[in-house]
Amino acid sequence: MHDAPPPLFRTWPRMYAAVVAWLVLMIVLFDLFTRSFNR
Amino acid sequence: MRAIDWLVMACALSGVILYGLWRARGSNTTEKFLLANKTMPWYAMALSIMATQASAVTFISTTGQSYVDGMRFVQFYFGLPLAMVVVAAVVVPRFLSSGVYTAYEYLERRFDAKTRSLVSALFLLSRGLAAGVTLAAPAVVMTAILGWPEEWTTIGVGMVVIAYTVTGGISAITWADFVQMLIMTAGLAAALLSAVLLLPRDVSFSDAIAVAGAAGRLNPITWQFNPNDQFNIWSGLLGGMFLMLAYFGCDQSQVQRYLTGKSIAQSRLSLLFNAVAKVPMQFSILFIGAMVFVFFTFEKPPVLFNPVALARAEKKTEFAGVRAAYDKAFAARRAAALALSDAPDTVQAFKSAQKDLDATRRQAATLASDGVKPVVDTNFIFLTFVTRHLPAGLVGLLLAAIFGAAMSVSSAEVNSLATVTVIDVYKRHWNRDGDDRHYLRASQWATVFWALFAVGTAQLVKNLGSLVVVVNLLGSFFYGGLLGVFALAFFFPRVKGTAAFTAVLCGEAAIFAAWKFTSMAFLWYNVVGCAVVVAVGLGMSALRDPDST
Repeated sequence: MHDAPPPLFRTWPRMYAAVVAWLVLMIVLFDLFTRSFNR
Repeated sequence: MRAIDWLVMACALSGVILYGLWRARGSNTTEKFLLANKTMPWYAMALSIMATQASAVTFISTTGQSYVDGMRFVQFYFGLPLAMVVVAAVVVPRFLSSGVYTAYEYLERRFDAKTRSLVSALFLLSRGLAAGVTLAAPAVVMTAILGWPEEWTTIGVGMVVIAYTVTGGISAITWADFVQMLIMTAGLAAALLSAVLLLPRDVSFSDAIAVAGAAGRLNPITWQFNPNDQFNIWSGLLGGMFLMLAYFGCDQSQVQRYLTGKSIAQSRLSLLFNAVAKVPMQFSILFIGAMVFVFFTFEKPPVLFNPVALARAEKKTEFAGVRAAYDKAFAARRAAALALSDAPDTVQAFKSAQKDLDATRRQAATLASDGVKPVVDTNFIFLTFVTRHLPAGLVGLLLAAIFGAAMSVSSAEVNSLATVTVIDVYKRHWNRDGDDRHYLRASQWATVFWALFAVGTAQLVKNLGSLVVVVNLLGSFFYGGLLGVFALAFFFPRVKGTAAFTAVLCGEAAIFAAWKFTSMAFLWYNVVGCAVVVAVGLGMSALRDPDST
C-alpha cells in the first residue's frame, strides 16, 4: 500500500484520533503545570 | 560578537546554504524547480513546514512575550493539530491527486478562471507585502542590539536568499530548511541550558520555577473565554484552528512544501509531525522566556531593553528619579526572590516589588516615547540576554538560528510568489505555448523579482513603522475569503464558479465591514470571512438552481 499510514496506526482515521488525543494530553499536562506552579 | 561567534555563525549559515544547493543539484526542469519532481520524504517536508512557520520574529518576540506576560501565548497553537488533521484528511489528497503546482490552479479546475485569478491576486498582494516585513522586522532589532546598519541585514539576507532559491528552487529551500531547523533546535536548547546554568549558585532549578511561578509567568492555560484576548484555550482552539487552516491549507507559501511529497502518505505525515511537535516546541520557547525572566531577577537588566528608547529616556531630566525607583524595586524583588524558597509566604512581597518594577519600566517607556511613538520593548529582551550573557560561540549559534529563521521564511515566500506569478498569471494569461525551459527561466526571473521587491519593501517598511501594522492587517483581511472559497471547493460540490467568485467578494466585504464598524479581534476575521463566503456561495447556488444544494 503506497499511501498507507505507519503500521502502528493501521488506518488514517486512527492516526488522526491519536493526534487529537495527543492535543488533549498536552492540554491536561499544561493545566496541571499551571495549577502546580503558577501563583 | 567575538571572533569565534563570527566563525560559528558563518559556518552554520554557509552549511545550511551549501547543503541545500548540494541536495538540489540538477534543478533544470520546471517541475524539479517548483515541485522537486515530487520526490520529497516526509521528514524533509516536516522540518521545512516548521522552519517556514518559525520566523525570526517568532524567535525573538515569543521569548519576550513570555518574559512580560507569561506562557499563555502557547494556547494560540492549540488549534494547529486540529487544522493539520483536516488539511491532511481533506486537502492533501485533492491537491496531490489533481497534480497542481499551486493551490489556486485547483480553483480553476473546480470553479473557473476568474475565481482562480481573484484568489491568486489576493495572495500575491498580501504575501508580496508580507515578504518585506519578514526582512524588515528582524533587521530593526538586530540594528538596535548589534549596531549593524539596517540595510546590511535586509540586503544581506535578501541576496543570500536569491543565491540559493534561484539556483536550487524548492529542493534547495527544503533541504536548507531541514538543516536550519536542526540549528534552531540546538540554539534553543543552548539558550535554555544557559539561562538555568547562569543563575546564581544558590538558586536551584526548583527555586527558579518558584520565582517564575510567583511572577505569574507559568500560566500556559487560561480557561476564561474573552473574545478580545486570543490567549485563552477557547480562542486558541477555535480561532487558532481557522487561522492555521487558512495558513496550511490555502497559503501557497505553506502548500508548496507538501506538494513536493512523493506520495499522499508522505505529505500527510509531514503535516501530522507538525501537529504533534509544534505545541511542545512553542511551550519550550516560552519556557525559555520564563527562565530568562528568572535570570534577570538576579542579574539587573537595563530599565528598557530597547537601547534606542533607553538612550532617549536617559536624556530626560525626570529619568534620574525613575532610575532610582527602578534600582530600589529591583533590589526589593531580588531579596524577595531569594527568600521565596525558604519562606513561601514572601510571595506577596515579591509580587508587590514586581508591580513597582513594572511601574518604573512603564514610566521610562513613557519618557522615551516623547508622547508620540509607543516603545516596543518585548522584541529586544531575548537578544539582550543572548548578546550580553551567553558564552562565546553560543552567541554566534543563536544569531545563525535567527538569521536562518529569516532566510527560511523569506525563501518560502519568494519561491511561492514566483510560482503563483508564473503558473497562475504568466502561463495562464500571457504565454501558454512556451517550452519547459522557457517557464524554468521565467520562474527564476520571477524569484529574483520578488526577492528584490521584498528588499525594497523592507526599506520602506522600516522607515514607516506603522506600515508593519498595515501589512499585518492586510494579511488578516484575506485569509477569511481564501479559507471560504476552498471550503466551498472541497465540501459543497454543487456550488459553481460564479457563485464562488461572488461569495469571495462578499466575504472580503464582510471582513472589511467588521474592521470598520466593530472592535473584533483580528483572529475572528477568518471565521467571519469564511462563514460569509460559504453562506453566500450556498445561497446563490440555491437561487440559481433550487435542486442543487
